[in-house]
This record gives sequence, C-alpha cells and structure tokens, in this order.
Amino acid sequence: MKLDPSFIWTAFLQLLSVIPTTLYITIVSVLVGFLIGTCVALIRIYKVPVLYPVAAGYVTFIRGTPMLTHLLLIYFGLPMIIDGLAVHYGWSFRAASIPMIGFAYISFSITAGAYMSEVVRSGLLAVDKGQLEAAHAVGMTTPQALRRIVCPQALAASLPNLSNSVIGMLHGSTLAFTVSVVDINAKAQIVASTNWKFFEAYLAAALIFWGLTVLIERAAALIEKRINLYNRGGVA
Amino acid sequence: MIKLRGISKSFGRQQVLNHIDLTVTKGEVVVILGPSGSGKTTLLRCVNYLEKPSSGEIAIGDFSVNCKHARKKEIHQLRQKTAMVFQQYNLFRHKTALENVMEGLLVVKKLPKEDARKRSIALLEKVGLGSKLDAYPSQLSGGQQQRVGIARALAMEPEVILFDEPTSALDPELVGEVLAVIRKIAKEGITMIVVTHEMSFARDVANHVVFMDGGLIVEEGTPVEVFNHPREERTKQFLKRITPELNYSI
Amino acid sequence: MGEPFDFSYVWSFLPKLLSTLSTTLLIVVSSLLAGIIVGFIVALPRLYKVPVLRTLSEIYISFFRGTPILIQLFLFYYGLPEILKLVQVDVTRAPVLVFVILTYGLHTGAYMSEMIRASVTAVDKGQVEAAYAAGMTGYQAFTRIVLPQALAIAVPVFSNLVIALLKDTSLAFTLGVMEMTGKAQTLGAVTQHFIETYIALALIYLVISFSIEKLLGMAEHRLLRHEDRNSPVKKTFGIHRNRSYRRIIAEMESGKGGVGL
Repeated sequence: MKLDPSFIWTAFLQLLSVIPTTLYITIVSVLVGFLIGTCVALIRIYKVPVLYPVAAGYVTFIRGTPMLTHLLLIYFGLPMIIDGLAVHYGWSFRAASIPMIGFAYISFSITAGAYMSEVVRSGLLAVDKGQLEAAHAVGMTTPQALRRIVCPQALAASLPNLSNSVIGMLHGSTLAFTVSVVDINAKAQIVASTNWKFFEAYLAAALIFWGLTVLIERAAALIEKRINLYNRGGVA
Repeated sequence: MIKLRGISKSFGRQQVLNHIDLTVTKGEVVVILGPSGSGKTTLLRCVNYLEKPSSGEIAIGDFSVNCKHARKKEIHQLRQKTAMVFQQYNLFRHKTALENVMEGLLVVKKLPKEDARKRSIALLEKVGLGSKLDAYPSQLSGGQQQRVGIARALAMEPEVILFDEPTSALDPELVGEVLAVIRKIAKEGITMIVVTHEMSFARDVANHVVFMDGGLIVEEGTPVEVFNHPREERTKQFLKRITPELNYSI
Repeated sequence: MGEPFDFSYVWSFLPKLLSTLSTTLLIVVSSLLAGIIVGFIVALPRLYKVPVLRTLSEIYISFFRGTPILIQLFLFYYGLPEILKLVQVDVTRAPVLVFVILTYGLHTGAYMSEMIRASVTAVDKGQVEAAYAAGMTGYQAFTRIVLPQALAIAVPVFSNLVIALLKDTSLAFTLGVMEMTGKAQTLGAVTQHFIETYIALALIYLVISFSIEKLLGMAEHRLLRHEDRNSPVKKTFGIHRNRSYRRIIAEMESGKGGVGL
C-alpha cells in the first residue's frame, strides 16, 4: 500500500456531498441546545424550586458522561419508551418510523443543552450587577434591562465559549456513524474501505473539519470584534 | 551616590524621556513631581531597568551601566542595588507577608532561612505589621499591603529605594499610615527617589524636588525653592492646579 | 429492540465493565502525561515569541483543536505506519494501544499548551516586575513567582481537560481497544440488554468524572489559599478584580468549551 496524494483530492470531492449532513446535525443541536441551555441556566440562576435540582442533575450527568453514551442511551432507550407508551395509549406511531438522523438530533441537542447552559450561565454571571441596577435607575423595566443591557453584554462575554461549544458539537457530530447516519466521518470510512485507502480518506476528512473549524473561529472573532467595541482597552 | 546621565526613552515614535540628568547624593530624599504623562514614572522604572532606556548611563556608586549595550549580568546587578515600591503594591499573591519579605533574602541574597526570617520579622515590626506575619496579601488592606511592600524593599538593603506613587492606589484614610512609614525610614538616612502627588509630604520630607514635564526636567531645587519660589511658568501652573491651599499658606 | 428492560442487569454489568476500567485509566493517565510534556513544548515558543517555532506551534494547536478526535484516531492509526514506512520503520505490529495513547496525547497536548499559555499570561504583570525589582533572575521569577500562581489558575481548566480526555477515551473502541465502552458494546450485543449496559457505563463515567472534579477542586482550593475571597478587609480597586477577570479569560481561551465527546 503506497501513499496516493491524488486520492486525497478524490476523497475530498466525495466527502463534499455529505457536508450538509454534518452541518445539519451541528446546527440543530446547537440551536435546540441553546434553547434548552437558556432555560436551564435561568432555572439555575433564579434557583426555581423543584426544577432546580432537576436542572443541576441534568447538567452534571451530561457533563460527566461521554456524548457517545448519550447517543447510545437515546438510540436504545427512546424507542422502548415511545413504543411502551404507544402500546399503552393505543397510538399508531411507532419508534421505527423515527429516522436515524432523528436520534442524532435528539441526543446531540440534549448533550448541547447541558454545555450551553453553562455557557449562558457564565455569560449572564459575567455581567456586573451594577449594570442591571443602573438600567433600573434610568427607569427601565426588568425585561427591558435584560434585553437592552444585560443580554448584549452577556453575549459578548460568552462568545468565545459559544464558539468553542459550536466547534465541540461539530466535532461531536462524527459520532453519528454509530447510528448509521452518513456524515463526513462515516462517508470517509466508506470511501476508505471501498478503495482501501484509509489514510488519504481520513486526511481529506480532517482537512474539511479543520477548514470548518477555522471558519467558525474566524466568524466568532469577527463578531466578537464588532460587539466588543465598547470593551476596548480592557484589562485582558 | 546615584547619577543618571542622558537617559532617553521612547515608545515607538513618542519620546517619553529626553536626555534626563539627575544626581542623587547618599541619604538624600528626592521627590519627583509632574503632571501625568510627564515621564516621571518611566524615569523611575528606568533606574532599575523595568523599562529599558534607549540610551544613557546609570551609575550607582562605582557601578555603572551604559544603557545602549547593557548586559544581562549588569542589569541583574543594578537591580540588586535598587529596590522598588509599586503603586499597585505587587506583593507576591501566593506568599504571606513574611514570605514576601523573605523571598528576596532567600533567593537573591541567599541568606540562611533562619537569618532571613529574623530580619524579615524585625522589618515587618518596624512598619507596624508584627501581628500580620502570616496574612496573605488578599487578607490585608491596601495600606498594610503597601507597608509590606516597603519592608520588602528595605530587606534588600539597597543603595536606593524607588517609590512609584506609593499612595495613589490607596483609599484616602489609608494614605497616612503609609506616608508615616516612609517618613520614618527617610529619617534613617536611606536614599530614596519618590514619585508622588502628596505635596505636603514632598515639602516635609524631600531634600530635593524635581519637577518634570514633557519628558524633561523643568526645574529642580530644595522644596522651599520649588514650592515657594518656582521660577518656571510650567511649574507655577502645575503647583497652582494641584495645591490650591499653597496659595493661602504663603 | 433487545430484551425487555430489567434494572437488575445494571448492577450485574457494573463489575463486568469495571474489569476494563484499568485500560481506560491507562489510556487517560499515559496520554495525560504525554499531553503535559507536549503542552509545555508547544507552549514555550508562543510564550517567548520564538519566530518560526511559534508559527509551527500555532499550526499544531489549530490542527488538533480543529479536527475531531475520532478522525485523528483513524488518521494516526492508518497514517502513521505509512509515513514511517517511507523512512523504513515498520510499526504495523505495534499494539493498537500505542497509537491510541499517542493520538490522545497529541490531542490533549494542544489543549494543555493553550491552558499553560493562558495561565501564565493571566498572572499579573506586576508580579514579574516585583520579582525583577527584587533582583531575581528571569528563571527565578518564573519558577518561584509566576509558575505557582499560574498553576492555581490552571487547575479548573486542567480539571475540565482531564474529564474531557476521560470521555474521549470512549472512542478508542473504534480501533478495537477493549476499554469500558468497547466492553459495554460487546456486553450489550451478547446479552441484548443494551440500555442496562449503557446505564451502567454512564454511571461509571459519571462517578469517575465527579471524583476527578472533586479531587482537583480540593487541589485548587489549596493552591488558592492565598486568595481569601471572603476576607473581611475592604479591598481596594485594581489587582484583585483584574485578576479574577483575567482568570475568567484564561478559562475561556483555553477550555474545550466543555464539550468532550
């Protein structure tokens, strides 16, 4: 087996077709994760009774276990729960009609939710308490103050974490192969084994991921620069 | 005796110090005054090479350093002959008050631990912190931290102690305790160069007052000369702005 | 799918999975050591702004942070033997575990170097100045003043990285290493009690992560004993607040964003 540089390009072209799959998984999990994360963060910041320990437990569990186990638990556990309920209530819906990628969406969103909640929480906590007081002092209502004063600052503060999380989910999407979703990683495996050129195929996949990651980092840096204008000349 | 000759320093295109000459005799307390941005802190930091002067010569006793081609060893020696008290105290955060004072004695002077300890305790008692030996900087008030800073500088037995606005970061009610300590050691004949905005302190303690503006020494002399009979217009303007009370007292 | 759910299987699977815990921990500990060494080597050119080497460090970090660990595993497993063959070294018979540890070591090394760099730069500049002013040499200032403080700043990030590494090792099964996740998959396939195995698996990971976090939390507490956060004495402005802000920044810059696979 000899190194075949030209095959890297061949593999690269074949992998291009599945980039959308990887991106879908990433985007869905990040967006849904952000929603879950915001709710969880608010529950934890305001120490909502009953929900608070649930939220804390959720975050601890997800952060303490590999993303792969979340996916496997959802993949094997969810159908059992759904079918159990379906039989019990006489629904016609069966778990078998959930597409494979659905499991990836659900599981990764749950994973992302826990990490996002930490991002949102640290972002909100990074905003000085005086800012809210000042907003109240000029007569804003709390929702106004949150929307106009606190959130923009929190977003600016959490942007580096946010971009790290997006990159984390992008990389995490490679796990989708375990539920037979053909993303970049799975496609690389297929291309590699049909042509018996593993190194070249994975090199192509690595280059694509590297490119996507750099793109996300650049975008985050750009946005950060724009919203952080007010923060120029800071301590860091 | 400390002699600065032709000290210049520029940051990029901006010339911060322009051929400064200054002589400090042994046991003298020199106070440097001037508006912010006049280069007084930079000058002080040049004396122990925390800023590298672009050119000039620094001489302490027989030892002298040509700033154009100073060697690492020379810089190291220069720093051992000087000590600095910082505006932001800069106590080592992970060490107690006692350990802060001992650190230089152990690492630089290579004193045995017991000797270093005894000397440090004596110094901390001298600055009135005999009861705070084991406190970490974060457990001390600003005034206390600065007094540890002074003890730390004294411990090295330097030829000169450089004070960089030692009371500027302090709450007003804590300024007095720090100035009192500086006064006390000034009386013991320790050579000092002090950058400060405390005018009454400067009048009382200084033997020699230097007024800087725009990277130049505009005027220098005894406190009486500079405060009561300033010759230069810029000095007059500055004194008028910073010490309105002087107008009454004269 | 599989046999009906029976919680008692979770308990009976625990010891079976734990029998492979040593493999998981072996991977974690060896790659951690490798990662720390690599991290220092990669961080130094950036800290001291050495030309050329610094750029190489940046590319190294960008690559290992920019590609999924799963892809890296395959890349090294398949690629390294081929590259080494070009220089007449045959590693095709080397155990898989070597490739796995090497990959995790290089991967975590990139994150470690960012952690080291961020922690060192987070130490207040005044600390170094004070050390120099006291007559210390650069080496003395670094080892006695900067390093101990940087260490304390680094602990929370380090803790996250160790946990991320632990979780990442769950992918070693893809190369056929029989660590905990690999064992869980075989157990599931044999008994058809998938959910029970994965619950047991998750529990073990959870306990280990939790212990790592608690242990390193204690270490941090000890290293930060000088930062008396509830001190009754009023703090003036300046250093103290800067520092905590710097710490947050340090954590943001170098963390894995929390997401370990």
